[in-house]
Formats: sequence, structure tokens, C-alpha cells
Amino acid sequence: MMIFSKKKITLAYTIEKCPECKMIKKRKFSEGDILFSESSGCSSCGGMMLIEKIYGETLEQ
Amino acid sequence: MNFTNFDFDQLFGMGDETNPIMMLVWIIPIIIFVFYGQRIQLYITSGEIKKGIKKLDSFRDESRTELIDYIGNNQSPKNNNLTEKIDRFLEYFTIMPVDMDPNGIVDKVRHTVRSREDYTREHVRSLSPEISEIELNKVQTLLEIASSLQMIYKIINHMYLTAKKQNNYPLILPLQMLLPFIMEHAEAMKEAIPAFKTGQPVGDGIGPMVVGKMMLSHPKETISFQTSLAQTEFKDRKLFLLKAEGPGSTVGRPADGLENLISKVHLDAIIMIDAALKMEGEDSASIAQGFGAAIGGIGTEKFQIEEIATKSNIPIFSIVVKQSVKEAITLMTKEISDQAKSVTEQVYEMIGDNTKPGQSVLVMGVGNTVGVP
Repeated sequence: MMIFSKKKITLAYTIEKCPECKMIKKRKFSEGDILFSESSGCSSCGGMMLIEKIYGETLEQ
Repeated sequence: MNFTNFDFDQLFGMGDETNPIMMLVWIIPIIIFVFYGQRIQLYITSGEIKKGIKKLDSFRDESRTELIDYIGNNQSPKNNNLTEKIDRFLEYFTIMPVDMDPNGIVDKVRHTVRSREDYTREHVRSLSPEISEIELNKVQTLLEIASSLQMIYKIINHMYLTAKKQNNYPLILPLQMLLPFIMEHAEAMKEAIPAFKTGQPVGDGIGPMVVGKMMLSHPKETISFQTSLAQTEFKDRKLFLLKAEGPGSTVGRPADGLENLISKVHLDAIIMIDAALKMEGEDSASIAQGFGAAIGGIGTEKFQIEEIATKSNIPIFSIVVKQSVKEAITLMTKEISDQAKSVTEQVYEMIGDNTKPGQSVLVMGVGNTVGVP
């Protein structure tokens, strides 16, 4: 029934992956993120991380 | 137990001692339902439909406001009668060509639809002459969503008001049956707005995502309008990779791209990757392989691809990722994006299994490429 259904919200995440050391970092999506583009420096090897995935996860409130 | 000693007079309240008021208690509802049953049903059903229409009206308003705000915030120079112009765009309609003689109808439909697209693009540009190509595609998509929601609202409201005006219950029945499906589509469209506004990849973009990744580190060229092509090699086969030009919101013109490519090179196989609507009970993000052109839309692109493939005797293989309507046009889910690797592996396996060294294969990533370069 509608009165018992929980409100659903979708949060967007960006997954960054370092092509050198394969380190993966998950963070919240920020506007301007584009798949396969360079995003930030790798904290492990200092290389440039690439955006591997952008997806949404739905949570119930 | 003995079931034969019923007193029918007592049972139907006809006996001498029966209270006449009690008799009326069951006779009156029967009379009411016989004469006014359909009308009562009409009132109950119309109440449900009214709720749906109210929701559709709010979707229409929200999408219109979002569109006006988005253009208003991004346009330069400022346009004073922006709202008036957008309202005029939202009222645009498309008259499909007459199909009494189906010969040549595909070309006519293609011409009509493309004329509309080109016209809308130029008019959006006129609102904001300095707008970038990516922003232009975004606005065009938002405009399509808003005008579709407007059209859905108008049609449903028209059907409802006609049935009510005529007090015609049978007229409201098809509406009652269709409304849940229409609401599902309308809700999906409304929820698609944030993804397109922020340039996030949508579920339909799984094809361009797979091909876009295969294109990385290979030079791209524009093969047709908003469509890019890259060339690479795999196990002594020549691979041509084709997808819509990202990261703007567009599906490109893959059929025109294929036509241009086939005029220059010989192809031995075509592999199409697309999102497909899942059936109820099927798992979301499941992958399936098959034959034939995997491409949606009104059918003109599909027709063109099939015609080229048939003339040149090129087999078409397809890989689809199943998803719901909502998943296809809203932010890509984790499950769908996790399938990209598996789809890529299946593409390479398909190439290895169905072609020989020295042959050429075209891999097409079909779908909206928003957020995917």
C-alpha cells in the first residue's frame, strides 16, 4: 500500500580507476564528470585516474 | 443435515411476518445497480483516472519549468520572451505521412522526423546563439521530454473528458486499462530529466559505453551527423567501431554512418550492441545474444541498416542488455554498468567465432551517448 511504501532516492556515484596500479576509488558524482576522462591523481602511485563508471544507487528512506 | 426444508418465503423475505423495510433493504440496491450500475462504475473509475491525470499534469508542469529554468540560466544573450517561445515549441506536432500507399513511406517518415529535429535544433540555437553543441543537445532532449509529457497529458485528458461528457462507461475502459502503462512511461520521462541535465550516462547508453571504451586511444573521425568512427585491429581482423558522438545527449545517425562506411570498405559482419526492454520476470541487466539489427526508434534507422546489410549480404549479430523503460532513460544502474566488461568480452568472442582472420567487422554501439565520449 502507498502509505507504507518508503521514499526512494537515487544517488549518483563516480568510480575512478588508476590504469597503472589498478586502484579503485568511489566518490559522489560531480557535474562535469565524463566517462573514460582523466579525473584526479592516484593517491597510491601518483598516476592519473580515469573515470571507469558512473552509476546510480537507489536507497529507501 | 437436511437441505430440503427451506422456507422460500422466509428466505426471500416474502413471509407474512417479514418486515417490509427489511425487504426494501435488498430490493432497492438491486434496482439501483440494475439501472445505475454502469454510472456508479464510471464514477469510481473516473476518480482513479482523475488522480492519474493530476499526476500527469504535475509532470508536465515540472518538466516545463525545469526546461525554462535550464535555458534561462544558460542562455546568452538573455531573451525576453523565452517562456512564450518555449510554450510554442511544446505545442509542435508532427504529422506522419499518409500510408495508404506504403511504397517509399520510410523515406517520407525519415524526412519528416529529421526536418523536425533540424528545425528544433536551429530554433533552440536561436534562443541562445552562443550555446555549445553539448548544451544544445541537452536542451533538445529536455524539450523532447517536456513536449512528450505535454502530449500524453493532453491525449489522456481528452479521452477522460469525452467519456465523462458523454457519460459513456465503455469509452473509459480502454483508458483504465492503458493508464498504468502510460503512467510508468510518464514517470520514467520525468525522472530522466536530472540525468540529462547533469550529463550522466543512462541505461540506454550501455552500447555507446562498451564501444566508447573500445575506441579509447584510437583516433576518431566523424562518419555521419553526430556519429563517430574509429578503427582498430583484433586477432588479424579489421575492426570498425561506430557510436554516437558523445558526451552530448544524442543517438547519432548510425545508419548513415554505415552507408558511408560501406561505400569505402567491404564488411564481413556487423555486431550491434543495444539496450532492450526486458520482459516482466526477466532479470534487469541480463545479457542476450541474437541475430538482426538491434536498434529502436521509429524504425527508419533499422530499415536502412537492414537494407544495406541485405544488399551487401552482411550478417548482423546483436548483443542486448535487458532493462526496464525507467532504467533505459534514467541514470545507469550499477547492475547495468557492471555488465559493460562482460558485453565487451562477448563482442570479442563473437568476432572470433563468426569471422576469419583478414576480414572486417563493424561494431556499433547503439543508444543515447549522454555522458559517454
